[in-house]
Amino acid sequence: MSREEAHRFGRADHLVGIAGLPDGASGGTGVIVLNAGLVHRVGPFRLHVELTRRLNATGYATLRFDLSTLGDSGAAPGRHTRTQQVEADLDDAMRLLGERAGCERFVLVGLCSGAQNAHTVAASDPRVAGAVFLDGYAYRTLGYKLRHYLPRLFDPTRWMRRLRRRGRVTGGESVEPVFAVAPAPRDEVIADFTAMVERGMKLYLVYSGGISTHFNHQRQFRECFGRVMDHPSVTTRFAADTDHTYILTGDRERLLDGIRDWLVGNFPGKDARRIA
Amino acid sequence: MRAGSESPFFFGARSGLFGMYHAPEGQKRSALLMCPPLGQDLIRCHRLYRQLAQAVAARGFAVLRFDYHGTGDSAGDSADVQWDRCVADTVAAAAELRARSGVDRVIAFGARLGASVALSASEARFADVIAWDAVLDGQGYMASLDALQAALREDAGRFTRPRAHADVAAQWLGFAVGDPLRRQLAALRPEALRAPSLAIDSTATTPRTEGTTRILPLGQPTPWNDLRRLESAILSHPLIRAVGDYLEEAA
Repeated sequence: MSREEAHRFGRADHLVGIAGLPDGASGGTGVIVLNAGLVHRVGPFRLHVELTRRLNATGYATLRFDLSTLGDSGAAPGRHTRTQQVEADLDDAMRLLGERAGCERFVLVGLCSGAQNAHTVAASDPRVAGAVFLDGYAYRTLGYKLRHYLPRLFDPTRWMRRLRRRGRVTGGESVEPVFAVAPAPRDEVIADFTAMVERGMKLYLVYSGGISTHFNHQRQFRECFGRVMDHPSVTTRFAADTDHTYILTGDRERLLDGIRDWLVGNFPGKDARRIA
Repeated sequence: MRAGSESPFFFGARSGLFGMYHAPEGQKRSALLMCPPLGQDLIRCHRLYRQLAQAVAARGFAVLRFDYHGTGDSAGDSADVQWDRCVADTVAAAAELRARSGVDRVIAFGARLGASVALSASEARFADVIAWDAVLDGQGYMASLDALQAALREDAGRFTRPRAHADVAAQWLGFAVGDPLRRQLAALRPEALRAPSLAIDSTATTPRTEGTTRILPLGQPTPWNDLRRLESAILSHPLIRAVGDYLEEAA
């Protein structure tokens, strides 16, 4: 059994979040879930609610919350860059989960911009012991381009379609991007990952077919980030058929199962219960 | 936002309902209960609901936003959402708002199915209901969601290849849907609902009055059923202004 508590918290009492507390849980690893894009703390299609409750049932204390100015959270006073704000918000979040569940180390979970924010904090805060990056940083590698363009080059139907379309004015219909992650220099990201695993962090990278404009194969983790992806502390999964925000319930189930199993395997703790 | 003016909490049976209470600024006038829509509409409207709550609280109204069982931060799974339970939760939320604010006169606001729930919740004793694009025909609403779900299966902007029919079954745009909810929505008819005092209509072109209902055009279309904008927030300053002005007048 577990219970959920609604909190207003933070250095300016400006943050809102839901702590999930398994009965009897004290100490151990807490899991903090960051906003995905502009969606409030429940996550896309309630992903974060389902995730935190599943982890609570497995024995982990959790916090899903809204960063400054997102969801129900307000702005903190003072002039800070967005990165400084995110770092301070996560500090507030870790303090809250420490107070409510006695957690001293934390796993951060983030999708897209949430992965970017989780990455920033994971790279600098020693309390972060693990991170789950869903559709985080990605770079179009040579392998990506070959896999993407070669089949198209030798596909006669594509050529026919292209020829038929020549000269025709297209509607120019624009599709609004759902989320967008500002790229960070690849060398920096590799250096961050390397430093994370060297200090003992565990990483789980799950990338979806929803970012096929940048990522299209399991091999691309190694192509993007090099040898650090072979480190035993790093687990990767490419879910080719899935979309970016896990709109289908079956895809979501598989993602949640994967995160739970990865947590139980890497952060067993005294309270974690392995699910058969 | 004043610190402490917006309080998150759980209430109701087994403390299973999530609520956000907005304390009124200045002289307390009356209270507004904000009934959310269901499914992806709830997530898309979250920011607008918060903006409206803050704007109305600044005019002296106590406001409660909340999530039904199986939605948002409330207890329960998405597959467990049921119409009758939404109506019962609305009655519980109205009682909670009266108890917290000390105000007996409660007006309800709802978008889409949130409006339909408010119009069904006679036991909540709403003094007024403000309905934005209320769903009055349950079967028509289900047909449009089924069509969107079928289109989603082949949405090339989302999936690299079409998904199997089984992958998209028993869901509406990201949320599992149980048979009880389908049956209950199928029975939703306009004659079973009370008339709203104010109906804000995204498709109307001119203001008019029908019976006791004032119908106000929003002045802009609202993309409720556009698959390409499924994950874009619904925002509307004209709506916030229209509801605020109406409440001022009605207070």
